[in-house]
Amino acid sequence: MFRHHEPEGKDPARVVLLGARGFLARAIDAALDARTIARTPIGSAEIDLAAAAAGEALAAKLRPTDAILFLSALTPDRGRGIDTMMANLRMAESVCRALSAAPVAHVVYVSSDAVYRDEDAFVDESTRADNPSLYGSMHALRERMLQHQLGQAIPLAVLRPTLVFGAGDTHNSYGPNRFMRAAATDRAIPIFGAGDEQRDHVFVDDLARLIVDTIVYRSSGVLNLVTGTSVAFGELAREVASIAGPDVQVVSKPRAAGPVLHRHYDPTALHRAFPAFRFTPRSEALRRAWAGYAAATS
Amino acid sequence: MVIGYAGLSHLGLVSAAAAAAQGFETIGFDPDASLVDRIRAGDIPIVEPGFAELLAHGDGRLTLTASASELARCDVVFIAIDVPTDDAGRSDTTAVEDLLSRIPPVDHELSVVILSQVEPGFTRAHRQTLEMATHARLFYQVETLIFGRAVERAIHPERFMVGLAQSGDSMPEPWRRFLESFDCPILRMRYESAELAKIAINFFLVSSISTTNLLADVCERIGADWGEIAPALRLDARIGPKAYLEPGLGVGGGNLGRDLATVQRLAGQRGSDARLIDAWQANSTYRRDWALRVLHREVLSESADVRLALWGVAYKQDTGSTKNSPALALARGVAGTPVRAYDPAARVPEGFPHVEQVDSALVACENADALLIMTPWSEFRRTPAAAVAAALRGCVVIDPYRVLDRDDAQRAGLRVHRLGAPEAA
Repeated sequence: MFRHHEPEGKDPARVVLLGARGFLARAIDAALDARTIARTPIGSAEIDLAAAAAGEALAAKLRPTDAILFLSALTPDRGRGIDTMMANLRMAESVCRALSAAPVAHVVYVSSDAVYRDEDAFVDESTRADNPSLYGSMHALRERMLQHQLGQAIPLAVLRPTLVFGAGDTHNSYGPNRFMRAAATDRAIPIFGAGDEQRDHVFVDDLARLIVDTIVYRSSGVLNLVTGTSVAFGELAREVASIAGPDVQVVSKPRAAGPVLHRHYDPTALHRAFPAFRFTPRSEALRRAWAGYAAATS
Repeated sequence: MVIGYAGLSHLGLVSAAAAAAQGFETIGFDPDASLVDRIRAGDIPIVEPGFAELLAHGDGRLTLTASASELARCDVVFIAIDVPTDDAGRSDTTAVEDLLSRIPPVDHELSVVILSQVEPGFTRAHRQTLEMATHARLFYQVETLIFGRAVERAIHPERFMVGLAQSGDSMPEPWRRFLESFDCPILRMRYESAELAKIAINFFLVSSISTTNLLADVCERIGADWGEIAPALRLDARIGPKAYLEPGLGVGGGNLGRDLATVQRLAGQRGSDARLIDAWQANSTYRRDWALRVLHREVLSESADVRLALWGVAYKQDTGSTKNSPALALARGVAGTPVRAYDPAARVPEGFPHVEQVDSALVACENADALLIMTPWSEFRRTPAAAVAAALRGCVVIDPYRVLDRDDAQRAGLRVHRLGAPEAA
């Protein structure tokens, strides 16, 4: 169950951001900025969490009143093998060692919906986190390492965002970001088959606001960061095309054999956790992402 | 012949009144003397249609007492106290055990029949203790009380299911004669079968409700209307005209949850595969929050400045109780959004600063973006859709129980969302 330890909301003394370089970190930085919350970003250049002595180095920087936001992870585009998984687990080990030596007030771990099996068509927080992929297993293990380390002593929020899109995303996974790049460069958006697969996509600015809300309410428990509305890739591609210009085409490419898998989320827990939160309408979010992308490439 | 009822809660009171109305001298016992005094003074602690008339019908034959020794005059004593459950669905049978311990020793044939719902194994486990202490014989009988229909079911039971030590045993004469007076089938079975029979009935209800709720959800998404399908199912002899085919906000009701928990526990102890129950429970939780999801999708996601009208605060119509109220669960999920609520009987409790209670259904609607009808009071059915539309500033009505007439609502320009119906149909 997701609960708030500061039901009225209270800014933490400081947020320590682990993993300060990615596009999500930049969005979070802006959201923290908007609420004038102090933070200290710690990137891999300062402390390589996968290194042997990283735990001690991190502990030396922590204060008891800190909220830690643990974003650092090597994503699948950096490798899908055992080496990447072990490096990710060492990062979590370092964080756990640091928290053992220097307890803080709150920990927020940004996990992933990759913990759920690909074939799980309907997912809520009670769905088993048992995706057999190394990446999904890694996030599930990191969650359990933190839960084991923190127990009841420090509130731990585990957030599992679904597919994220927004300006500045360097990943090129199938979805809005890739569609925008293709629209800008090729004036054609390729989709697999008819693009029937339905997925939930969350705008990075919304994700950042939800993460900051989690920090401010000092929440604990597991929460999927999802809109609750799934859309087919084909429809999404057509929406991007309509924003990118009348000359942009959606082009069907051969699809690998296999069943069409969909993913739908029950967003009730999120609605209950943050009743006042409103997602940016998808059309507006896509326009803002496109504007950001266009500004960055012009 | 004298019939006794020990425990004057909902089950005991209705059953005792029905026995007296049937023409039997009846003793109603409860160890709580203040409760007995209160009932004697006409302050009835339950709300049940037809109960006052039932009580009047048996007047003179029903004696209420706080003295357990009075039960020694009985030929049959039913243990009829309601059994509370905790949040995990576990029954607390302390009161049943207490009443069994109060049965006085007798020197004539006395049948003590547990009517309260207990877990399988309870009757056999308590048989020897009772029989050694009192010389009475212990039996079990399935109760089939339904809140709101308890009187009707007490005087016109469909059948009796009685639990005996062995299925071939005969029933004691007074108990058999009493049950035969209701002129319905009597099904004899061993204790454990009877104890499980009650649970089995509820399981089939849960199965029907869950199936209905799942298919209602599918209906909403594919443009079908469950209201058109259900009548066809009722004409199927394998499903039946009285099948539970009304979509709802989850399974609801503490008794159904208790039975699911009981079988989960028994299955866990004995090694049966009970994962089906997990699926029912998950579906129930999911459907419980239907209105909140629709509200977010249709209204809250569209505007930051939203006002809501809420019809119904009670957990169901014809009661002032708000325990387990879907309306309050919904209100909790929209904390921060102004809500105007109206209920003919129930009051919004403390802890809902964003909810203002008003004293008319249409006042609640004034300048609201959406109306949520969370309790199907008959008063709401009489409110014209055009008046609702005129009062609202928005046009969305979330009406899970189909209170508003669909055609009237459509003519009034309302977009109505109902369980099991195509969106806004």
